[in-house]
Amino acid sequence: MKRLFLLILFCVVLPLPLFAATTPTEKIQQVVDSVLDVLNRTDIDYATKRQQVSGMVQCQIDIDSMSQRTLGIHWRSATEQQRKIFSGLFVQVLEMTYLNRIEDYSGGKVDYLQERVKNDKAIVDTQFVSDKLQIPVQYKMLHGDRGWQIYDVVIENVSLVRNYRSSYGDIVRKEGFDGLFAKMENKLAEQKLSGAVQ
Amino acid sequence: MSPVRLFVLIVIVLFGAVGTVWSQDVTAKVRPSITAPDAFDADFDDFDDDFSDEQLPLISDPLEGLNRGVFWCNDKLYVYLLKPVARGYRVVPRPLRRSVGNFFSNLTTPVRAVNALLQFKVKATGTELGRLLVNSTIGWGGLLDPAGDALGWQKTNEDFGQTLGVYGLRSGWYLVLPVLGPSSVRDGVGILGDQLLDPLLYTNLTDAQKTAAAGLKIINRLSLDPDSYEGIKRDALDPYLFIRAAYAQHRLASVSK
Repeated sequence: MKRLFLLILFCVVLPLPLFAATTPTEKIQQVVDSVLDVLNRTDIDYATKRQQVSGMVQCQIDIDSMSQRTLGIHWRSATEQQRKIFSGLFVQVLEMTYLNRIEDYSGGKVDYLQERVKNDKAIVDTQFVSDKLQIPVQYKMLHGDRGWQIYDVVIENVSLVRNYRSSYGDIVRKEGFDGLFAKMENKLAEQKLSGAVQ
Repeated sequence: MSPVRLFVLIVIVLFGAVGTVWSQDVTAKVRPSITAPDAFDADFDDFDDDFSDEQLPLISDPLEGLNRGVFWCNDKLYVYLLKPVARGYRVVPRPLRRSVGNFFSNLTTPVRAVNALLQFKVKATGTELGRLLVNSTIGWGGLLDPAGDALGWQKTNEDFGQTLGVYGLRSGWYLVLPVLGPSSVRDGVGILGDQLLDPLLYTNLTDAQKTAAAGLKIINRLSLDPDSYEGIKRDALDPYLFIRAAYAQHRLASVSK
């Protein structure tokens, strides 16, 4: 319940005043800063951090566009129900992947290098810098009802969505949607298990 | 047999098997010349591609069965030998391990400089030569990187696989090489070419010593890596597919830069 409340707070209430004039870079900045703020806090434990970050990121992602593009050609042949199942699982997989990485990104900072906007599309180039790593990270964004939303992250020239598209496409071709969903469910269950052990 | 020779042998065997395709690749798949659109539009074209339904495979992989076999072996090698050793080696303080990395990297400057030149990247060639000069002298024989840290001359990353790509050669089939991991027919040949530019080949070291140096280089690199392979294995539905796609994308971008 508390989680739901937080989600509503982050997705609906907080961004409201920002709708009007938020540029893509500002949007990324807000998300990244608020995530880093949580990560760098010392007064809350790891589980709480994960929970808080999860709400923040989920509502900044354009999950429909991402799902559609990840399935690509298979999206069209999918039934309405399959699409729904996929989006539901996919958002969890993305969240899991992201949350598993956040520890790597603790204690770093983000430089904003460049912003390019073309109609309803935007590309924001950033660089993540910490004492261990220096990684170029590019955000691709779309403008929709909820302002600018992220739909792809390109890390060192590797687009996350393209990677998913290639991998998932292969799985759908060989094992069908059922095979893909089973793999996604397995992965999520496996993670919950290892999370519980931690 | 030294790992280098073993590797050469394996590659030759593999290429023997795919030789016919390779020669087709050379002649038939020369890239159309690009009319240098500016980077702004190029990136947005990418964007539009993403929204098309076109689903070109990033790289063709007719040897998937064999590749998965090698991938499995590499995984075991990594999990049960290389990584535990690298973890133990982490007792060496991080700055020192970075210096070891710097040293090896300085040593392989010829690889990057020659390939930059072969790709007509004059500035990158100059940067590499400048780095060699500065880091070999005031950088304590390459242990430190004052050229990058103080002068801002960042290391470039050119290799022969990229050079062949710039000359219009497509990657060809995806290959997972023993120990070395993801590669392609083109990039495998590239690795062979780069070996010839590695000064270590021309030293008086014995085979055993060269093997030890190559081993140290791998362990040192793994010790500095923030467990990225473990991350992929944990997150990806199928790590083989994920790494293949990432490799293909990464190489495409390296060649077009």
